[in-house]
Amino acid sequence: MNKGWQITLILVLFGLFALFYQGLWGDPRHIPTVLIGTPAATFEGPDVETGQTISLDQFKGKVVLLNFWASWCYECKVEHEDILRLHQAFKDNPDFVMLGVNYQDKLPDAQKYLKDFGTTFSHVRDVKGQLAIDYGVYGVPETFVIDKEGIIRFKYVGPVMGPVYTNLTEHVIRPLLNSQPLASTPS
Amino acid sequence: MMIRAALLLLILFTFLPSVFADEVGETALDVQVREIAKTLRCTVCQTENIWESGAPLAKQMRDAIRERLELGQTEPEIRAYFLSRYGDYILMEPPKHGVNWLIWVAPFILLLVGGFFLYKEVVHWVKDTPTPPTQPLQPLDDQARKRLERELES
Repeated sequence: MNKGWQITLILVLFGLFALFYQGLWGDPRHIPTVLIGTPAATFEGPDVETGQTISLDQFKGKVVLLNFWASWCYECKVEHEDILRLHQAFKDNPDFVMLGVNYQDKLPDAQKYLKDFGTTFSHVRDVKGQLAIDYGVYGVPETFVIDKEGIIRFKYVGPVMGPVYTNLTEHVIRPLLNSQPLASTPS
Repeated sequence: MMIRAALLLLILFTFLPSVFADEVGETALDVQVREIAKTLRCTVCQTENIWESGAPLAKQMRDAIRERLELGQTEPEIRAYFLSRYGDYILMEPPKHGVNWLIWVAPFILLLVGGFFLYKEVVHWVKDTPTPPTQPLQPLDDQARKRLERELES
């Protein structure tokens, strides 16, 4: 067997090992979601602060941003200011709604978090974790954007800040609010 | 006495767990939940299924399976639901299509390639090992022959 074949074989073996390594130990947060372009699962649950029932159905025909968070999540604290800034930027648009989804948390901890860090929009409690499963959530923070037709158009795992914030506001929310097609899959 | 005690302990440790398992009385629904949960990956763990995982999300997934079974959904329907939420990643056993075939056939390819290289290497070693020079056998002289006969007779 000549040298060329040997090198090719070694490269193929290395590639296989890399694939197995990625499959076994890779971060699931980098796996592309299968939910983009699919109808958003409807849900209802209690408001973290008031206890009143919030349902996704009441926002039909609007662009809805869902942000999954928890009081024990460090990255949620990191993105919190930008999340508030994002709401501030679009809150006057009647076609825009922002909802926080409190995930795997204790109610007093979640309420304290909102009191300490402040909030300007509603947050629904995912009491049984069903909402997180319906949205294929791996961990928090995760952010979804649902268009006016109720289709999931964007998902991001991790804190929304910097270039992600710019992409989300300029290339996802604004086009969706103006009923413009998105340039590409912007997740 | 010691051997009897050791035997008794061995019997107790061997059979008692199964006795207790019977007492727990796993229902048919529990068995179904377990069978499905074993095939689904815990998405916040590393290489662990949701039956074995202690993560809160895994517990919620087990509860979701139970609820769906109670609603009358079948095992394939429940697996399809999780697949529609998380994609192939949720399955402990990758489905046999597309690039996933690589995962199924790669171990055998590696075995064949490894075997081939081993064979080539062994053949190479055998060829390269110098054989010691052979010397023609000298016939026995009379003295040695007599000694040999004596040794055999005694």
